[in-house]
Amino acid sequence: MSQGKKIRVLVAKPGLDGHERGAHVVAYGLRDAGFEVIYTGLRQTTKQIVNTAIQEDVDVVGLSILSGAHLSLTRKVIDGLKTQGAEDIMVIVGGIVPEGDIPLLKDMGVKEVFTAGTPVSAISDFIGAAVSSI
Amino acid sequence: MSGIRKPAKKNKKYEEIEIAEKEWKQNVLDKRVSRFNLLKSPTRFYSPLAVKNSNFLGKVGFPGQYPFTAGTNPFDFWRAYAEDAAKMGYRPEWGGAGGVGKYGGFGTAEDYRDYLIRMHSMGRSGGPNMAFDLVTQCGYDSDSPYAEGEVGRVGVAIDSFRDFTTIYEPYTGDLEIDRVPSNFTINAPAAIIIAMYAVLAEKRGIPLEKLRGTPQNDILKEFIARGTYIYPPKQSLRLFRDICVFCTRHMPKLNINSIGGYHIREAGATREQDLAFSMANAAAYIQAGIAGGLDVDSFAPKQTFNAFGGSMEIYQEIALQRAARRIYARMLKERFQAKNPRSMMIRQPITAHIGCSSTTLQRPLNNLTRAVVGGMAAGMSGGMPGVFPPYDEPLGLGHSQEAVQLQLDATRILIYEAKVADVNDPWAGSYFMESLTDEIESGTMAEMEKIEKMGGAVAAIENGYMQKAVSKSAYAKQNQIERQEEFVVGVNCFTNENEISVNVNRQVEATYDLELLKSAEERQKQKLEKLKRQRNSKTVLSSLSALKDHAKDESANLMIDICECVRNDVTLQEMCDVMREVFGEFQQTKL
Repeated sequence: MSQGKKIRVLVAKPGLDGHERGAHVVAYGLRDAGFEVIYTGLRQTTKQIVNTAIQEDVDVVGLSILSGAHLSLTRKVIDGLKTQGAEDIMVIVGGIVPEGDIPLLKDMGVKEVFTAGTPVSAISDFIGAAVSSI
Repeated sequence: MSGIRKPAKKNKKYEEIEIAEKEWKQNVLDKRVSRFNLLKSPTRFYSPLAVKNSNFLGKVGFPGQYPFTAGTNPFDFWRAYAEDAAKMGYRPEWGGAGGVGKYGGFGTAEDYRDYLIRMHSMGRSGGPNMAFDLVTQCGYDSDSPYAEGEVGRVGVAIDSFRDFTTIYEPYTGDLEIDRVPSNFTINAPAAIIIAMYAVLAEKRGIPLEKLRGTPQNDILKEFIARGTYIYPPKQSLRLFRDICVFCTRHMPKLNINSIGGYHIREAGATREQDLAFSMANAAAYIQAGIAGGLDVDSFAPKQTFNAFGGSMEIYQEIALQRAARRIYARMLKERFQAKNPRSMMIRQPITAHIGCSSTTLQRPLNNLTRAVVGGMAAGMSGGMPGVFPPYDEPLGLGHSQEAVQLQLDATRILIYEAKVADVNDPWAGSYFMESLTDEIESGTMAEMEKIEKMGGAVAAIENGYMQKAVSKSAYAKQNQIERQEEFVVGVNCFTNENEISVNVNRQVEATYDLELLKSAEERQKQKLEKLKRQRNSKTVLSSLSALKDHAKDESANLMIDICECVRNDVTLQEMCDVMREVFGEFQQTKL
C-alpha cells in the first residue's frame, strides 16, 4: 500500500436495481480487510458515481450490477472518469456477468470482473496488489 | 432405586426412556466417539424426550384445520388433477399459480401485448402475470432521467392507463377480465396499477366485484430487500390501508397482497429473520386494515403469501413451513381475534425451496441436484414438489430449453415415480421434526417480540434494524463460506484439478426480441409525448390537485383520487411525484 495511506474504495450500485446483498457483503469485507470503503446506496446515476469517486478521492470504483445492463453502465462510468481526467481510478465490476461479456468489459478498461462465488478475500487481495503496483 | 424415583405416574414412560438414553450414551455413543478420537458426536438422534407431552391437536392438527401445521389444505388444487394431467400430458409450471400465465413482461405495452398474443396462440392462455420494468416499479415515467437504459428491460413499461389498456387488448371473450385472473408484481405504485385494473373494468362495463387477481403489494419488504420503495414506510402503509379498504369494499375477489419472506431470505436473512420479519410485515398489514375500519375476517382471507425460506437445509426448510403456518394461524386467531379459519391460513403457491442464491455458477449442472432437494422439501412441506430454479439460473443468460425440460421432468419424477406428495405432512409426529419446528417457532417468536417492542415493522424499518440485521447475516454467511465452516460443493471445496465440469447442450429460446428491447425507451417516450399533447390538461391538473389535497389528509382514501387520475390520463410518475411532494421519499439508513 502506498505511503501507508489506506486504499479508498467506492462500492457503487448504478441504475434502479435494488439487489444489494453483494454490494453490502463486499463493502463489509473490504472494510474488515483494512480498506476505506464508501457505499453509494441504491439508485445512483453513472454521473453521480463518477462525481462521488472524484470527490471522495478513491483509488477504486467497484460497480455492483445484476440487472444485465453491465456493458452500458460500465462504459458510462469509465467514459465519465476519463472526461474528468480521473482515468487513474481503477474500475472493477461484480455481479451477474455472462462469461462472454467479461473480455468486453476488460477491453473497456475494467481491471477485473468478479462473478458469483468469488470470496471477498480474492477481491481484497486483488485490490491490494493492483493499487500498490500503480 | 425406589428412593430416587419421582412419584408422577404419567411421566413413567419418559423416565424409562431417560434411563435408556443415559445407558445408550455411555455404552454405545461415547464409545464410538472415542474410537474415532472425536470430542463429540457428529450426528444427533431424537427420542420422545425431545417433545415431551406434545399435544397433537393443539400443535399439529389435521391438514386444513387449525393451527394448519400439517398443511393449509387437505390437498392442493394441482394434486386433485395430477393423474388427469399425466394422462393428458398437460405441462404444469412450477408454482402452479392457478391458471395464471408465466411471469413475464418486457418492452413497451405493445411489445408485451404481442408477446401475450403469441403465447395464447401456443395454448398458454392464462391471465397476464406481469413483470414491470424498474422505472415503473420505482414510480418514474419512461422519459425520466432515471429511466435511461432501463425502459422495458426487466418487465413491461407502464406510463399511463393507455399502456395498461393496450396490454389487455387480447383479453376479451373467453379471456375477458372477469374470467381470467391477473397478477401484478408491483409494490410502491401498487395503488396506481390496481386503480388501472378497476378503471379498465369500469370502461368495459364489468362489475368490479368480479375481478380476480393478485397484486404483490408488499411494500414493507421492499425496504428490507429488493429496494423498489418510493415513500417512507409510514406513508407507504397508509397507501396500503387505502388499497385494502378499497379492494375489500369493491373488489372482494381480488387478493390484497402477496407477502414475501423469500426476498428477505435471498438478501441474506437467517431462517428466523426471514419468518419473523415477514410475519411482522403481515401483522402491520392486518393492523392497517383494521385501522381502516375493516373487520379482520372481511379482508384477512385475501392476504396471501408468495414464499418463505430458500436454502439447501432440507429438514430446516420443511420445519420452517410448518412453523410459519402455525405462527400465522395463532397470530390471526389470538392477537387479531379472527373467527374465520380462512383468515388464519397461509395461502401461498410455493412451499419449501432452495432459493436461487443456493445455485452456483461453478459446475452449474449440480444445480439440478440442488433443485431436486428443494423439490423434495416442497413436496414434504405441503406443496407441489416443484424443482426450481432451472440449473442454468446463475449463468444470467436466460433459462435454456434443456434446463427447463430437466426441471419439469424432475418435478414429475418426484410426483409420479417417487410419490413424494402422496402423504400430507409426512414428518408429523417425528420427534426430530416436531422439536425442530418448535425451535424455529420460538426463535421466530423471540425475534417478533423484539420488533414488537420497537413498535412493529414500520419502526423496525425506520430505525434500520431489519435492513442492518439482514446485511449482517449475509456477511456472516459469506464469512462462514470463506472460513470453510459451511461448504458449497465446487465453490469452496472439491475444487482441485481432478474435478471436471459437466456440460450439456443449452439452447436458449429468445423469449424477447432484442431489437424491440433496444427501441422500447424511444417508443415509450414518443407515446408519452403524444399523450401529453392529446389529453385534457385541465382535468389532469384538477385530478392531481385533488390527489395532493387528499394525500395531506390522513383520513382520506386516495384510491378514489388515483382512479380519477387514471381516467384522466395522468401519468404514473405525475401521480407519484405529487405523493412524493406530500409524503417525502425514503432515505435508506447507512450501512
